[in-house]
Amino acid sequence: MSVIEFIRDSQYGMPIVQSVHLVGLTLLLAVVFVLNLRLADVALKNVSLEFLVQQLRRWLFVGLAVVVLSGLLIFIGTPAKYLASNPFRVKMAVLGLAMLFQYGMLRRFAAPDAMPRSRAARLIVAALSLTLWFTVGWAGRAIAFIP
Amino acid sequence: MSLAEWFQWLEQTPASTAIAESIWLFPLLEGSHILALPLSVGMIVIFDLHLLGLTLTGSRAATVMTEMLRWAKLGFAVMFITGGLLLMCHAGRAYGNPFFRAKMIFLLILGINAVVYQVVFVPKMPQWAAGRTPAGARVCAVLSLIVWVGVIVCGRTMAYQF
Repeated sequence: MSVIEFIRDSQYGMPIVQSVHLVGLTLLLAVVFVLNLRLADVALKNVSLEFLVQQLRRWLFVGLAVVVLSGLLIFIGTPAKYLASNPFRVKMAVLGLAMLFQYGMLRRFAAPDAMPRSRAARLIVAALSLTLWFTVGWAGRAIAFIP
Repeated sequence: MSLAEWFQWLEQTPASTAIAESIWLFPLLEGSHILALPLSVGMIVIFDLHLLGLTLTGSRAATVMTEMLRWAKLGFAVMFITGGLLLMCHAGRAYGNPFFRAKMIFLLILGINAVVYQVVFVPKMPQWAAGRTPAGARVCAVLSLIVWVGVIVCGRTMAYQF
């Protein structure tokens, strides 16, 4: 039995991979939360955003790698099902947006020579970023309920 | 009434059937329960990693704990409310489910671990030099990381069996 068949057809294959997907999500979005809450000036105000990015970047990538790899394993068992799913399409599109937005935001706001930004600008950017990431999560959950 | 009978009764209350049969309420509760993971368990994970010297090095453990727990409390409030309502809908089936039972035992272990940490290590935390976590506190962190993964695995797996 191949890995793909094990995941798709065995009793515990899918629950195991889905669990790994959730462990990755927990780590990835926890880091996203901390960075955006710091950007919005509501958490860890005693350290700089630059320090947080430098310290948490590794865990952001570990979380991202875990969700992408486990997501791929979920996908390849029944690709046609996912490609035909509207929530899945939304999830992938918004995931791309969220990653681009987060990357661009960190380049602009957490660089050593970043210019100071107004509180309002930082609040809006943090809120937008969190909204994008959680849209990815909700779209993912919706795959199970909406065609 | 025995515990098993009480769980059976809980599943058949009008509120439970209403949630279970609602097209949008059940998915909403389930989604909220899952997406509260980063704000509850995730914040604990970052603190555990810090205790192990794997992130936020140079910051004081006491400060990191205060900041992380503030958000974790909010996350756990969402977890317990949504988790309680989800359990109501499946109480009868959950009662005998091995993954539900394992999840509850894991949560109990995590509760005891948190109390031990609070009593033994928290009073001395302000005196720790940055990055110098005592061995006992590291054991608590490793235990927390492993058992939280167990909670997630059991929680996700039990949902496949209802």
